[in-house]
Amino acid sequence: MKKRLIELKINGEYYEIAVEPQRTLLEVLREDLGFTGTKEACGTGECGACTVLIDGKPFLSCLTLAIESQGKEITTIEGLSKGNDLHPLQKAFIQYGAIQCGFCTSGMILNAKSILEENPKPSREEILKGLEGNLCRCTGYNKILEAILAVSEGEK
Amino acid sequence: MEELSFVGKSIPRKDGFEKATGRAIYTVDISLPGMLWGKILRSPYPHAKILNIDTSRAEKLPGVKAIITGKDTLGIKHGFVETPRYPPDQYPLAMDRVRYIGEEIAAVAAIDEYVAEEALTLIKVDYEELPAVFDPEEAMKPDAPEIHPTHPKVKEPYKNIGGKTETFWGDVEKGFAESYLVREDRFEGQLRTHCYMEPQATVASFDYSGKLNVWTSSQGPFIKRAKLATTLGLPFNNVHVHKTYVGGAYGGKVDLFSHEFCASLLSIKTGKPVKIVCTRQEIFEAYRHGQPIIVELKTGVKKDGTLHAQKVKVINNAGAYRGSGVVVIFLCWGFIMLPYRIPNLKYEGYSVYTNNPVRAPQRGHGAPNLRFAVESQMDMIAEELGIDPIEIRLKNARQKGENLPNGDYVRNCGLIECIEKVAQQTLFKEKYGKARLKEGQRFRRGIGIGVSSYFSGSLIYPNSSAAMVKLNDDGTVTLLTGALDIGQGAETILSQIVAEELGVSIEDIRVVAADTETTPVDIGSWISGGAYVSGNAVKMAASDARRQLFEIAAEELEANPEDLVAKNREIYVKDSPGRSISFSQAVSASITKKRGNPIIGKGHYRTMKDVPMHPSLATTKGRWSDNYAFDAQVAEVEVDMKTGQIKLLKATTAHDCGFPINPLLVEGQIDGQVSMAQGHALWEEVLMENGKTLTTSFLDYKIPCAKDMVETYYIDVITEKYEKDKPYRTKEVGEGYVSGMVAAIANAVYDATGVRIKKLPIYPEKILMGLKDKKR
Repeated sequence: MKKRLIELKINGEYYEIAVEPQRTLLEVLREDLGFTGTKEACGTGECGACTVLIDGKPFLSCLTLAIESQGKEITTIEGLSKGNDLHPLQKAFIQYGAIQCGFCTSGMILNAKSILEENPKPSREEILKGLEGNLCRCTGYNKILEAILAVSEGEK
Repeated sequence: MEELSFVGKSIPRKDGFEKATGRAIYTVDISLPGMLWGKILRSPYPHAKILNIDTSRAEKLPGVKAIITGKDTLGIKHGFVETPRYPPDQYPLAMDRVRYIGEEIAAVAAIDEYVAEEALTLIKVDYEELPAVFDPEEAMKPDAPEIHPTHPKVKEPYKNIGGKTETFWGDVEKGFAESYLVREDRFEGQLRTHCYMEPQATVASFDYSGKLNVWTSSQGPFIKRAKLATTLGLPFNNVHVHKTYVGGAYGGKVDLFSHEFCASLLSIKTGKPVKIVCTRQEIFEAYRHGQPIIVELKTGVKKDGTLHAQKVKVINNAGAYRGSGVVVIFLCWGFIMLPYRIPNLKYEGYSVYTNNPVRAPQRGHGAPNLRFAVESQMDMIAEELGIDPIEIRLKNARQKGENLPNGDYVRNCGLIECIEKVAQQTLFKEKYGKARLKEGQRFRRGIGIGVSSYFSGSLIYPNSSAAMVKLNDDGTVTLLTGALDIGQGAETILSQIVAEELGVSIEDIRVVAADTETTPVDIGSWISGGAYVSGNAVKMAASDARRQLFEIAAEELEANPEDLVAKNREIYVKDSPGRSISFSQAVSASITKKRGNPIIGKGHYRTMKDVPMHPSLATTKGRWSDNYAFDAQVAEVEVDMKTGQIKLLKATTAHDCGFPINPLLVEGQIDGQVSMAQGHALWEEVLMENGKTLTTSFLDYKIPCAKDMVETYYIDVITEKYEKDKPYRTKEVGEGYVSGMVAAIANAVYDATGVRIKKLPIYPEKILMGLKDKKR
């Protein structure tokens, strides 16, 4: 299909790029723009590894077309830290042992961010419910929950 | 006891920053200039002759750069096991016959994935279908279709036997005659799969110096190098497997896979980098899953519950090639004989070829399904004898100093303490058996226990590791290790050991790991010897570096080396802190006064030291390991008696872990294994029909998600200690704790419902059917 010129706003910066309309946001982020922190584990919307924030809400970038993401604020994991200055969730994930292989981590942290933005003091159940779409095979989710709870209680 | 500063501390993982920020580069993230994409054509038939492969139309498709089939290869086979008895049996690309749906027939390299995929559709393959067989017991029958000839050493009139393990001690028949109670049961463990989040992926780049560079999602680069070099006919030093971050493996990425071979050969053919990333569907349909086994278990006990005789037959559905099937039937023997004393035992295991995809290790490599059988029957026996599940296990538990039939002995064992502590902490005896009294109640709770044991590094060739610790001019340290961090935290614990031995901080250490060209050899992260074998190699290297540092420091400070201590990159004379020299000064002094010695510590380690024999997979004879871990795990479940739905509420693991090098990482390992056990016991099953996989996505194959999270509790039973300058024996924590928990869940479900499930997983409908049967 014929390429279209689109403009994407990613982590506060504008990128002008020609894409075929059928290409997903995930493909464009990873292959064209080098945002490889966004991962693909299934490509069919089942695992949550490709989660990015669009206007602050979690979206599966593997099921989102690049062209429909125009005019919106896209946040990837690369946009969460400023240089070596980490987001509290990133710090907590490291400190609480919530990361093992790390392949689900980007999606997990971004989803956690949106959970906390919607509800700064969620219950354990609310956090787990919110993370239902993000699969992790390493941690059993225990340390992920601890890390998010630590941030939600205001730990920095 | 000397105070430890780094070992035993919950230090956050060293690669946390890179992983939390998305900067960690996995194989799937690698892109090289001019890179081509590869795709693999797979067999649609479970068993067929290949009559002809016509690639001419595909070759003409614009954008296609190379196509390879079996004819383009050297025809060298590979296998998970490559021994004289069990030689390699699988071609990287099929030659004239395919034996499972998904077997690799051809591969294409093209300018992008779409073109490569289209090219696959243009390859014409003529097949002649052959009769196929999928069930292992059907495949053993004399009139079954032959997939491979039965192994020449197997004398039974069975077909399709890839390998057999047979061993005994004592007199099992006499043992049964002397027993008060003899039980015979048959259990079945299902086919489950790893579900590593990072798909199988490889980037290969053959350069003009004749070197093949490979980045691949694996469990250790050295095995990949050996098998790639052998199948491609290249010298080992011309195959450079680079380190990448690995997005999970759990046993599923150990030996050679066709996509690794194909990416490499396509790169050699085209002179360009080639990348292959498998789709999730491809992984479910064609890749190696775990091992389903059938366990026929006959056990004789004395009246007081003492195990007296056990006869075990294991049948493993190995798939179309040998894979790790012959290892599983060997290991099942070990998982039978380790946790309990059994004076009379007879074991036979068969690995049977079927027209299913090949099988691999999966976390526990046979132990979860095997321990499910043994521990379930243990509870059945206890109930018949009127003994509680804790007492019968305490009575039979292995103890320190006992000899094993193969000549190994149990150097240290905290199993009794594990059972006692886990029972105490969970109030097991108070809770057990109570649910069954609550007739008519909809939600019932149950409690169950499972016991298991696992080896920590095994004596198979070349299970060794070597390491180097280099001092830099400013006193910082570089560790070179072949060990690969696949998420378990290898680089972190190895850094802790270097920090402890040398007196530097974790931040002072740069780790160069898992690179076949620069780092010393390491067997890889797949045989539960990381902390023990690789750890000791690193410890030796670090203490060698310290010895050299202290030697020059002693000369500079006019002191004895044994009076020196190191801390914060400074070397002091004990009790007179004023007399000191920095690491940087010591390195400089060493270079100027020791003929340029920059201080490089070297170390190497192997389990069992210099025992020449490794165990025979067929007879089990020969030493196996000198380091066994033990555990007792308790599950607490709630069952909805109306729907059969089971919830795992609490999981408590008491483990003889030696000592934890990093408690935070140990907990993470246990959490992950509890979660895997939950899926294994309750939901996970790769469903197949006539060789075709029906569960091809995460929607069809349910693994635990966040809302299934289980409350986990840990009890460390410490049986070893870390001392400077001495080798240590810490135990594995990476794969032994799926098994006890699977068994514990099954036993807890029985405690809640009175329904004994002998075939995993425990689907709700099995509970409902069991309840119906009980009413009859």
